[in-house]
Amino acid sequence: MDPPPGVPPDNTTPTSLAILRAGGRVFDAVRISKAKMAKLFFVATLIALGAPVYFIFLKSPPPLPEVDLNEWWGPEQLKTKQDTSVRPFKLKFDKVMIKDLKERLKAHRPFVPPLEGVAFEYGFNSKQMSNWINYWAEEYPFEEREKVFNKYPQFKTNIQGLDVHFIRVKPEVPAGVETVPLLLLHGWPGSVREFDAAIPLLTAVSKDRDFALEVIVPSLPGYGYSEASVRPGLGVDKMAVMFRNLMNRLGFKKYYIQGGDWGAVITSNMATMFPEEILGYHSNMAASLTGRTTLINVLGSVYPPLVVKAELADRLYPLSKHFGYLLEETGYLHIQSSKPDTIGVALSDSPSGLLAYILEKFSTWTKPEYKLKADGGLSSSFTREQLIDNLMMYWATNSITTSMRLYSETFNKRYMSLKMDDIPTTVPAWFIQAKNELVYHPGWIMRFKYKNLINETVLENGGHFLAMELPQVFTEDVLKAIAAFRDWHKQNKVKTEL
Amino acid sequence: MNTLYLEKIINHWAEKYDFEARADRLNRLPHYKTRIQGLDIHFVWAKPEVKGVKPLPLLMLHGWPSSSKEFEKVIPMLTNKRGGYDFVFEVIAPDLPGFGFSEGSNKPGLNPVQIGIIMKNLMRRLGFDKFYVQAGDWGSQTATHMATIFPEDILGFHTNMPLSSMPISFLKIVLGSMVPTLAVDARHVHRIYPLTKLFSYIMRESGYFHIQATKPDTIGVGLTDSPTGLAAYVLEKMGVCSNKEQTDTIHGGLENLELDDVLDTLTIMWANGCVVTSMRIYAEALAGREASVVHNIPTKVPTAAINFLHEVLYQPDWILRDKFHNLVRSTTVEFGGHFAALQTPRELVDDLYASVAQFVVHHRVRT
Repeated sequence: MDPPPGVPPDNTTPTSLAILRAGGRVFDAVRISKAKMAKLFFVATLIALGAPVYFIFLKSPPPLPEVDLNEWWGPEQLKTKQDTSVRPFKLKFDKVMIKDLKERLKAHRPFVPPLEGVAFEYGFNSKQMSNWINYWAEEYPFEEREKVFNKYPQFKTNIQGLDVHFIRVKPEVPAGVETVPLLLLHGWPGSVREFDAAIPLLTAVSKDRDFALEVIVPSLPGYGYSEASVRPGLGVDKMAVMFRNLMNRLGFKKYYIQGGDWGAVITSNMATMFPEEILGYHSNMAASLTGRTTLINVLGSVYPPLVVKAELADRLYPLSKHFGYLLEETGYLHIQSSKPDTIGVALSDSPSGLLAYILEKFSTWTKPEYKLKADGGLSSSFTREQLIDNLMMYWATNSITTSMRLYSETFNKRYMSLKMDDIPTTVPAWFIQAKNELVYHPGWIMRFKYKNLINETVLENGGHFLAMELPQVFTEDVLKAIAAFRDWHKQNKVKTEL
Repeated sequence: MNTLYLEKIINHWAEKYDFEARADRLNRLPHYKTRIQGLDIHFVWAKPEVKGVKPLPLLMLHGWPSSSKEFEKVIPMLTNKRGGYDFVFEVIAPDLPGFGFSEGSNKPGLNPVQIGIIMKNLMRRLGFDKFYVQAGDWGSQTATHMATIFPEDILGFHTNMPLSSMPISFLKIVLGSMVPTLAVDARHVHRIYPLTKLFSYIMRESGYFHIQATKPDTIGVGLTDSPTGLAAYVLEKMGVCSNKEQTDTIHGGLENLELDDVLDTLTIMWANGCVVTSMRIYAEALAGREASVVHNIPTKVPTAAINFLHEVLYQPDWILRDKFHNLVRSTTVEFGGHFAALQTPRELVDDLYASVAQFVVHHRVRT
C-alpha cells in the first residue's frame, strides 16, 4: 500500500525490516574470508589483463578463405565462349557523348547558394560550380586529352567473364638490366589517370638500378573502361583473384604489386591469398580493420606512447577527434555501402552532380584544412585538367554506379567475416604514409599481419591521392621498395640454400 | 532503388502526371505566406466550415522529404464535424523553412529548436497564443522542442513518431535487451529487439541521414540538377519507410502510397529547387549542442503517441515518459508506416480526435 502523498517513505515498516533481516542472513551465509577475497581479486585481474594479451598476441588467425579461380562475373551465356586473347585498345571520347555532356553542364538547374560564411564545411560549395562547369564545357581539350591517354599502350582481356582494361608500359632496357613486372591498382574515386605522371617516372631506366619496371595499370572491374559484374559478390577478395588471373594471363608467374585506396586492399588480399606469386607489396594506404587494432588503439589512448611514436601520435590520437573526423567524412561510404544504386542515378545523370561529389574528396582527402578554403583547395594540389581527366573516366563510361557497388560488395557480412586483415602473410611489404592519409597505423601493429614489413616511410606532406599529388616522392619510394624486396629475396635465397 | 522500376515512375511523371490538375487540387485549400524572422513561410490555413462548434487551433508539422502537402487528405476531415466530438480543428499546416514553398535560411544554425521558435512566432502572427500540435519526422522533433520551450502555449502534442532522446532512454533500451519482454509488450518486442537486427536495419537505411548530416551541399548538386536522381533518392526512402519488409520487391515499399501523392511530393521539391535547403536540417540538427540540451529537458505538455507498424523507430511508453511526463494516450497499431497522413489518413484523424479529447479532459482536471 502506498503511503499517502506528501508523507516521506518509512523504512521501519514491518516489510522493510523483514527484507533487511533476510538479506542479512544471506550475507552471513556467503561471507567470504579475506584470503578468499584476495584470491578472487587476483584471478579477476589476471583475466582482465590476460584477455587482451591473449587477444592481441596469442589468438590464432582465421583460415585462408577458399579461392575459386574460375568464378564467373559476366553474362551466363558467354561462359562457353571464353576468350583469352589480349587485344590492343584505344579509348575514344566520341562526339555524341561530348555534345551531350556540354549540354547537360550548361543546362544545369540553378544551384542553391552555400550558407553565409561557409566554404566546404557543408560539402562542395556551389559558388565554385560555375568555374568548373565553364572549364569542363568550354576549355577542357577533349580531343587532345584522348590522344595523350592513348599514348600509353592499352589492352583489354576477358578475365572470368569481364573485359578488363589496362595500360601496359614496358621500358626498353640495355643489357644487364632486368625488367620486373609491377601491378598498380587505383581506388575510388580514382582511376588509371592517377598514375599518368608516375608511369614515365616508374618505367624510367637508370644507371643506379639493375632493374626497370614494367607497369600494368588496370581499371578495376566496374570502373573506367573495365566491365562491371552482372551479379552480386564481386568484392575486393574476388577482385584479387581476377588480378592474379590477369597477371598470369600476361605471362607473369611472379610480380610486384602496389595499391592505394581500394587498390591497397585488393593488393593486400593478393599478398595474403597468393604469397608464392607476390614478390613484394607496396601500399600508400596501409589499413587494418581488425578487432585487435581497435583494442590496441583504445587501450593506447590511456598512454599513447605505448602505441605510437610521440611525433606521430596526433595522426591517431585523441581517438575522439579522429573518430569525429571519420564520422564527418564517411557519409559517402555509408550510403555507397548500402544504397549505391540509389545515389548512382543522380550522379550518372548530372555531370555537375558527379563533379561535386568526386571533387569534394580530392579536396578534403588531400588536406582536411582545404575544407576551410573557398575553392576547397582544389587549385592548390592539382590542375583542373588532371581532375577532369579523372572525372572523364567515370562520365565517358557511365561507371559511377558500378564503381560504388564495390563498397556494398565489400562492407558486408560475407567479406567482413573472412577477416582478411587478421590473416598474416610473409610477402615482404613496404608502406608509405602520407601526412593527410585517412588512416594511420604504426608499423608494429601492421606487423601482426605483414610478417616481413621491411619499412614504413612517413611523410610530412601529401594526401590520399599520393601518386597524383606527389609523383616524384611516390615513385622514389616504390623504386626503393622494389630494390629492397629484391635484396630481401636474394638474402632469403642464400638462407634457404645454406 | 531498382532502376527498372524507376524507369516506370519517370515515364509516368513525364507523360501521365497531370501537373495542372494536381496544382488545382492543392489550391482547393487556402494558402498563405508571411515573413517570420526574415523568411517567407508558406502555410495552409484551413478554417472549419462548421458553425456552433468550437474550433481548436492545430499546427501540423511535416518532415523530410515532405511538405504541408502531406496533410492534404486529413485537413478536410479535421475541419469538418465529426460524430461524437464537440470540437473541430482550425488547421495551420506550414512548410518548414527550406522545404516546399517556404524560404530556406542563408545562415548556418537553423536547427529544429530554432524552427520551433519560427513556428511559435507564426502561430502568434495568426492570432494563436496557445494551440495543439500534430507532427511526425522532423516536424515531431520540432514540436517536441516547442513543447519543451513553450510548455504553457502547447495545449497538447500528438505525434506519429514519438521519440525520447534522453541518454537515460537509450540506456533503458540497451539494458532492456537483456530481457526484452520486460522492456516491451510481447506483441511489440519485434519493433526494437533483438538490438542487432535493429542496428542492422538502421545501418542499412541511414546512409542518406549520414551524408545529409555531413555533406548536404555535395550531394545536393546532383539532386538539384537531375530530376531522375532526385526521384531515385527520395522514392527509395519513401518506400522503405512505408514498409520496411519489402526491400525484396521491385518497388521497395513505395506501392503502399498513392503514386500521385508521391509525385506531388517530388514535384514540390523539384519545382522549388529545395532539396539542398531541406537536407541541411540534418546537418544543423547534429551541429552544436542546442538540440541535445533541449532534448534532455522533460515536458509536462499532455502528449499522445500513435505507433504505426513500419515507423522507423519505436519506444515503449515507459521510455517515452522519460521525456513526456504526461503521456496521456498511446496507441500501437499493426498497420501503417512513416507517412501516416498519406498512407492511413482516416486512422490518423481518428486517433488525433480521440487524443485531443483527452487533452481537453487533462486540462479540465487541472483547472
